[in-house]
Amino acid sequence: MADVKKHDTPQCDELKNGPWPSFVDDIEQKGLSGQQACLDLLGQLELSYTHKETHWKHGGIVGVFGYGGGVIGRYSDAPEKFPAVAHFHTIRVNQPASKFYSSAFLRKLCDMWDHRGSGMTNFHGSTGDMVLLGTTTDQLEPVFYDLTHQMEVDLGGSGSNLRTPSCCVGKARCEWSCLDTQAICYDLTQTYQDELHRPAFPYKFKFKVSGCPNDCVAAIARSCCSIIGTWKDDIRIDQAAVKAYIGGELKPNAGAHSDRDWGAFDIQKEVIDLCPTQCMWMEGDELKIDNRECTRCMHCINVMPEALRPGTDTGATILVGAKAPILEGAQMSTLAIPFIRMEPPFDEFKEFVDKIWDWWMEEGKNRERFGELIQRQSLQEFIRRAELKPIPQMVKEPRSNPYVFWSEDEVEGGWKRDIKEFRARHAA
Amino acid sequence: MAVDMEELKQKILEFATKKAKHKSKMYIKDLYKADPNAKPREIKKAANQLVQEGKLEFFSSGSTTMYGVPGFGKSEEDQFGTLEE
Repeated sequence: MADVKKHDTPQCDELKNGPWPSFVDDIEQKGLSGQQACLDLLGQLELSYTHKETHWKHGGIVGVFGYGGGVIGRYSDAPEKFPAVAHFHTIRVNQPASKFYSSAFLRKLCDMWDHRGSGMTNFHGSTGDMVLLGTTTDQLEPVFYDLTHQMEVDLGGSGSNLRTPSCCVGKARCEWSCLDTQAICYDLTQTYQDELHRPAFPYKFKFKVSGCPNDCVAAIARSCCSIIGTWKDDIRIDQAAVKAYIGGELKPNAGAHSDRDWGAFDIQKEVIDLCPTQCMWMEGDELKIDNRECTRCMHCINVMPEALRPGTDTGATILVGAKAPILEGAQMSTLAIPFIRMEPPFDEFKEFVDKIWDWWMEEGKNRERFGELIQRQSLQEFIRRAELKPIPQMVKEPRSNPYVFWSEDEVEGGWKRDIKEFRARHAA
Repeated sequence: MAVDMEELKQKILEFATKKAKHKSKMYIKDLYKADPNAKPREIKKAANQLVQEGKLEFFSSGSTTMYGVPGFGKSEEDQFGTLEE
């Protein structure tokens, strides 16, 4: 059934004028097909642009039975004007590992959501889950039933819970993947069901899994615990393919930048000179790598994918404590474990997780992310509680986060000493 | 020593009800004070069981989850109104 536009939205309409598809177009189209909530949503957005403040009331007690996450209450503070969005709750749905869907699943999900909600979705924004936007309280349990019984998917994490773990495409489609990212993501999701669905922590906690140091899910920038695939042995070199790149038979970057003529491929300029640790050189027409110095930046492998490949002795590097806007700005995660085998049932990794969660649950302040706890209580304390061995790679800059401080029991005589005896030998 | 879950639940409920008279929403860390000898995981487990039993309720802002006692503070209907049929 076609509908008519309910509200004048000149400011929203401005957003349709750019060169890219606009969310305003999408929402309006959906509204004109009969979803009143979409039309009222645009009306409320227009009002927010006029007033330069939000008209959403945030939060509530809504949820589904047995779960303390996955549903976020949203209410309009102008329900008389926009009755179709008076109650407009968001539902987070746990995405399948690596986000593989069948079209049949997506059709079923959209049909269900057209029937029980606004029909609007947000797939894999910064939250990562499938997000179903806008429904009323009485529809929450029916939606939950349909999701779990008809579509065999679960709600995702929200609030002070473990958030839905996410992973890159991994070995399913990527030859660089050093990890079975999907197996890890699925195992963590199943193991930590209680933490995912029932609030346990001072704030949110995120696991993200990338198969190689290219880190396609940006685990190092966005997750409290980043699991990033790496290798222990040497980068595999196919010297014939190296020659083919130099000779121009193979296109660098697999032809990714071929929209412009960059001239002949120059291995010295485009690969060797750009190596951050300068661990590569040519000997005659052979490429050599000092693998001990490699920091896994992936540049050479990205440029010459047919010539260079990650090693075969694979595992993961574990880093902790990333957060997008931490007190002083974005914080990348800090190295915790340089190499760990990630093979089912991942016991060694889970023991590590238990230790850091125990620390955070005991010491974390309300709304303090794990990375902020490390910042506040020190890297040294993190190392102690995680029972790790300090290594130089944990230090970002020598004077800002050193991990070596003596504790009193490590110093002969402790902190107390006889000052007279000291002064007898050293003038003041 | 294993904690008596029923005893712990009772302590949490008493603590939360007392606190709710002044502040209707509390963080999980606030509930730790109900029994300083209990471990955070045990408190969390007991608090979640109380929610299942309807004696406590979750309040989620989307980013953080808090606990409340039903009947204290503004109810969902008071705050946001009911939808017309």
